[in-house]
Amino acid sequence: MSAIKLSRRGFLKATGLIGGGLLIGYVATPDGNSPAVIPGDGAMAPNAFIQLTQDNQIIFYSPRDEMGQGISMGLATLVAEELDVPVDKIQVEFASVHDDYRHPEYWVQGTGGSSSMRVHYLPLRQVAADTRALLLTAAAMDLGVAAESLSTEHGYILSNGTGHRYSDFIATAQTLELPSETPLKAKADFKYIGKDMTRIDALAKSTGTAIFGMDIAVPDMYYAMVSRSPVAGGTVNNLDDSAARAMSGVTDIVRIDSGVAVVATSFWKAKKAVAALNIIWDQPDLANFSNGDIRADYQSALESDRGTTETEGSITEGLSKASMQVRRDYWTPYLAHTPMEPVNAVVKISDGKAELWAGTQSPGVARGLVARHSGLSVDNITVNSLFSGGGFGRRAQLSHIAEATQVAVATNKTIKLVWTRENDLQNGWFRQASIMQLHAGIDAEGKVTAWDATRVGGDLAPDTLAGVLPGELPRTPKLLNDLMLSATENLYDGWLIDSGGVEGLVSDYDFPNKQLRHISVNHGLPLAAWRSVGHSFTAFAKETLMDELAEMAGLNSFEFRRRNLQNNPRLLGVLEAVEQGLKQWDIPAGHHIGISTHGSFQSFVAQAAEVSIQGSKIRVHRVLCAIDCGAVINPDIVRAQIEGGIMYGLTAALYGDIEIENGAVKQSNFHDYKILRINEAPAVDVLIVETEQAPSGVGEPGLPLIAPAVANAVYQATGQRLYSMPLTLA
Amino acid sequence: MIEFILNGKVVQTDDEPDTPLLWVVRDTFKLTGSKFGCGIAKCGACTMHIDGSAQQTCVLPITAVAGKTVTTIEGLGTPDNLHPLQQAWVEQGVPQCGYCQSGQIMSAASLLTDNPNPNEAQLEAAMERNICRCGCYPRIKQAILSVAEQGQSGAVQLATPVAAKAPEGIQS
Repeated sequence: MSAIKLSRRGFLKATGLIGGGLLIGYVATPDGNSPAVIPGDGAMAPNAFIQLTQDNQIIFYSPRDEMGQGISMGLATLVAEELDVPVDKIQVEFASVHDDYRHPEYWVQGTGGSSSMRVHYLPLRQVAADTRALLLTAAAMDLGVAAESLSTEHGYILSNGTGHRYSDFIATAQTLELPSETPLKAKADFKYIGKDMTRIDALAKSTGTAIFGMDIAVPDMYYAMVSRSPVAGGTVNNLDDSAARAMSGVTDIVRIDSGVAVVATSFWKAKKAVAALNIIWDQPDLANFSNGDIRADYQSALESDRGTTETEGSITEGLSKASMQVRRDYWTPYLAHTPMEPVNAVVKISDGKAELWAGTQSPGVARGLVARHSGLSVDNITVNSLFSGGGFGRRAQLSHIAEATQVAVATNKTIKLVWTRENDLQNGWFRQASIMQLHAGIDAEGKVTAWDATRVGGDLAPDTLAGVLPGELPRTPKLLNDLMLSATENLYDGWLIDSGGVEGLVSDYDFPNKQLRHISVNHGLPLAAWRSVGHSFTAFAKETLMDELAEMAGLNSFEFRRRNLQNNPRLLGVLEAVEQGLKQWDIPAGHHIGISTHGSFQSFVAQAAEVSIQGSKIRVHRVLCAIDCGAVINPDIVRAQIEGGIMYGLTAALYGDIEIENGAVKQSNFHDYKILRINEAPAVDVLIVETEQAPSGVGEPGLPLIAPAVANAVYQATGQRLYSMPLTLA
Repeated sequence: MIEFILNGKVVQTDDEPDTPLLWVVRDTFKLTGSKFGCGIAKCGACTMHIDGSAQQTCVLPITAVAGKTVTTIEGLGTPDNLHPLQQAWVEQGVPQCGYCQSGQIMSAASLLTDNPNPNEAQLEAAMERNICRCGCYPRIKQAILSVAEQGQSGAVQLATPVAAKAPEGIQS
């Protein structure tokens, strides 16, 4: 609750920006303490999240960004529940940038880590419950009855059988202090939480009326497209733009930090002109590396004595108790995020103010980037957050917003800067590649006695920080930022272990002796969190080795895992749910089952994949997935996220491979960066194992398990153990 | 000057002849329901109906539709007057990020016009040109099959705006 300032000034300063109480502007004053929401005429906004208008419209300002995960629906459901208003009566707006909307656990106003429901579950319900209590108190005063005699139903206050609109009591409510710590509803009284309900954005997204950044058009807007170095970090040595300048519709060609920007009157004209630029680039060190070199560097690091090590128990002692042991190496490649909507931004600068339109996972950083590159103060910048056409971690990196601002400043024009799909694949940020080595021992009872893990690869944290710092601290000179960043890089090289590279590699099971060694090897390809982050590759190594160990122990895959999950009842719970669920399955001849289990983002998941081999092709027919994500707000959205996570993970398992050739990404579009299509998509059954725990992640936890489940099924089908992704039959 | 029929209305444009239909519809005619996803006709986010059949429009030069009828998601149905597929999309909770869904629905509508009762293999063959990165495939399948099973496929033609016959002598 600390992030929520329950300012009374919100309505005391009401200025009626738009008549009728309907909306609503965001006003930020230089002291930075202005309320997040300035209510319209006759409206009230008792906190940063809720406005009740004069005509009884309830507006919820979602502090988290909507990129398909359904969080605006989920959070609106919490508000609806405690306000006692049907969810579809609530109008959801994406919040402006304000301290009140910072992520309660992260430093920034951002969305990620499958954390939104977990961190807002109680605080948002609290502000809604307090708001309802305030309205009831006001109603009791206005109606001259005892507050206890009033109740609410379907968005109305009932008094002696008569219904009153919430907005009837705004005037009196505004004279009262907002109560705090109003008791929340008991689970048994929930009307909306825990129910399947249609997403509020489904209609707009099924009729082409949902507005994404790509759809924004403002008066006098020009398109910009950028030619960037094919090798990340390269700079312009020589530019010949004569051909491009002569092309129809081209108005400006300007150099910006990331390359050369072409400005034109239409998308198509900009696209043709940017292709006509002739640029010679000065290439950074990365240009000396191709995939084979990178992998060889990882391998030699693995064989060195380098690295940072954390140990619990003793590997030597664990191995001495083992009756069998095995050591395996795993390779997982770089991957691109490829959200369906390539990144884009519209920036308008005029009269000392700037306005940004973009769908991002980090609107606070976005605002700071506009400030940094326009020289304006953040208080003079308005951010219009929009639907994101997919995030997956890609929209936490916002260089395109810096680019759009630089072009807008250089040309004195309103700029819509669009990345093409080729830009997305070749100039973006990538999931880190890894070599992992696991060395494990088991005893005669099938218990793991030692688990020794090493991961070699690039560090995510410094690149994440490099994306955040310039926007979060827009006034800090670049030199100082660079110093902070290089200090961070050094920290991860020998001092700290970057959790995004190792999370999940030594976890879940009762390993009595375990060790984690990390060796940082960075080649300079920009890295970004990719849906489920480190779990996206660590689960593959861990769960395929567990299957191999089960076979060595002479136990089936369920039983072996069960013996090693005695201290993890929630993971054991989902494992057994899948074991039971599989009994209902009729497995056709030639089809084989592989399983996996893995905890991430505080949720617990088990999966089974039904696979057949058709020639050299791995065909996944069905997936059974059990998840324990604590309290469930909307079961249908949980199922959708699990389905989606599995499809995203299956693309990586079967196809995902970003290859580096002389520092440049070889793949360029969907013809050579293959994405799972509907004819390859398995049916998915989701079992929600609901527990009385607080809600935890659902957007990412379903993903990590599909690659190992499929690999384990492939072994059943072919006898081939696969140690590399994408999964390829010998 | 190129003339064609867009969602039932005769329209004209002087965009350069090689401009893809997608960008003419989005930038010139301000209909943004059809999306840019790849620019090489490999993802289907830009799918529209040209003379009633689904086609990817991000590489289709505007000259190719001179005198033809073009239907976009905006012409298929509206929030107040949903096409049965759009209704099914909402009921089955298909969209996640939503960016690909206009293209998915246009491909599905074309499929059901040609084949009101497709089997799963026919459905997959028609829909495999559309990528969904959120992985809504199981629900897309379910939504299309639910419309086919209810025998609502015939409504596809009713809900599609009746396009006027192309005027004589239209040339690029």
